[in-house]
Amino acid sequence: MTAGVLAVLAVVLAGPVPAGLARLPAFRRTPVAAVIVWQAVALAAVLAAVGAGLALATDRAWREDPGPLSAVVVLVAAGVAATVVVRLLACGHLVGTRIRARRRRFRSHVDLLAHRDRERPGVLVVEHDAPVAYCLPAMAASRVVVSTGTIRLLSSAELDAVIAHERAHVRGRHDLVLEAFSVIQRAFPRWVASRAALDEVSVLVEVLADRAAVRRHGSDPVAHALVALAAGDGTSTAAEGVGLDLRGSGRTALARVGLLGRASRPVRDAVQSAALVTAAAALLVLPTVLVVRPWLASLAG
Amino acid sequence: MVIPFNGRLGELERAVMDHLWDTCDADPAATVTVRDLHEALEADRRLAYTTVMTVLDRLARKDLVVQERDGRAYRYRARAGRAAMTAALMHDALEDFAHDDRRTALVAFVDVASPDELEALRQALDRVRGS
Repeated sequence: MTAGVLAVLAVVLAGPVPAGLARLPAFRRTPVAAVIVWQAVALAAVLAAVGAGLALATDRAWREDPGPLSAVVVLVAAGVAATVVVRLLACGHLVGTRIRARRRRFRSHVDLLAHRDRERPGVLVVEHDAPVAYCLPAMAASRVVVSTGTIRLLSSAELDAVIAHERAHVRGRHDLVLEAFSVIQRAFPRWVASRAALDEVSVLVEVLADRAAVRRHGSDPVAHALVALAAGDGTSTAAEGVGLDLRGSGRTALARVGLLGRASRPVRDAVQSAALVTAAAALLVLPTVLVVRPWLASLAG
Repeated sequence: MVIPFNGRLGELERAVMDHLWDTCDADPAATVTVRDLHEALEADRRLAYTTVMTVLDRLARKDLVVQERDGRAYRYRARAGRAAMTAALMHDALEDFAHDDRRTALVAFVDVASPDELEALRQALDRVRGS
């Protein structure tokens, strides 16, 4: 019984729920709460899948007279649970080491090639015409990097907005949120809506950082900077400037500019946030209370 | 929160690379010895000869400096000129942003837009201005 409920929960949370959530752009109005919901769904799905495997395995193994069929069921169920855990750990290690190695390389090159911006402490400037702005997240020594092309392209207010946006990524450790969903996507690329989750969470952390920039500099500079940097310097995009053909990855920009243009509705957003966070908490607590506790009790009895 | 450079060793690496890049800009095939570098760097600071060797070793491991054997000594040069390495850095960064799987090392401000997307973006921007 327990195993069945948890298995259904795992399937629903891994497939239809993320696929459905990704089609609800209204959630982007409350990005913090939405990110919490995505994390709760992912965690609950993993716990339910592992729980289902363990529940089925113990249910059979604890029987008075386990026949050969029971032995097979125990092995398969325990195998499923172990596969989920092992795949997550292995991919976590793989993705983590790869990302950190790349960051180390970027950091060492940026530190040697870039110079510090005189007016903006902590900002590194790379001498290049292609307009780019990014941050290099790290535990202690994050860097915000812009090119001279960006400085030329943007007004002072727009540049400040871009830097505020990148600093928000650094402060909020948004890279860790993205990394977690990257790991899930890598571990379960099929049968699970892990792609939808990763794409939507990527939009949400950008919206979060945009909000932080808007609070300091207003929505106009953020929106202008977004369009200017997505467009490049008028003759060519940043990518073409260094010989890359990367057209067609600007989906998030449109959603973000769209959100910047919406009128604020503080009360509705607050209600939506509260509802989402409550739902996220319920998602993690209810299965534990309703399903797992009776199962644990039955094991003990 | 944002600490730009990692202390004295980082500062020395910069000084060494600046020297090697200046050499490279003057003559791409030119190489220098540890002694040359030590003399050049000692003008601004007190520095042990072995420290220069350590820094060069680190830079060689980071693939920024090329080590060439010349008899019993080594000669060093930057792997590429400053401009070429900057271009390579930009190329790597933009390629990283474009990773479709988003397992990215960097967090870019914005993705590159296609012409259609740009048109839609400009219309959306007008609505922001109007609001």
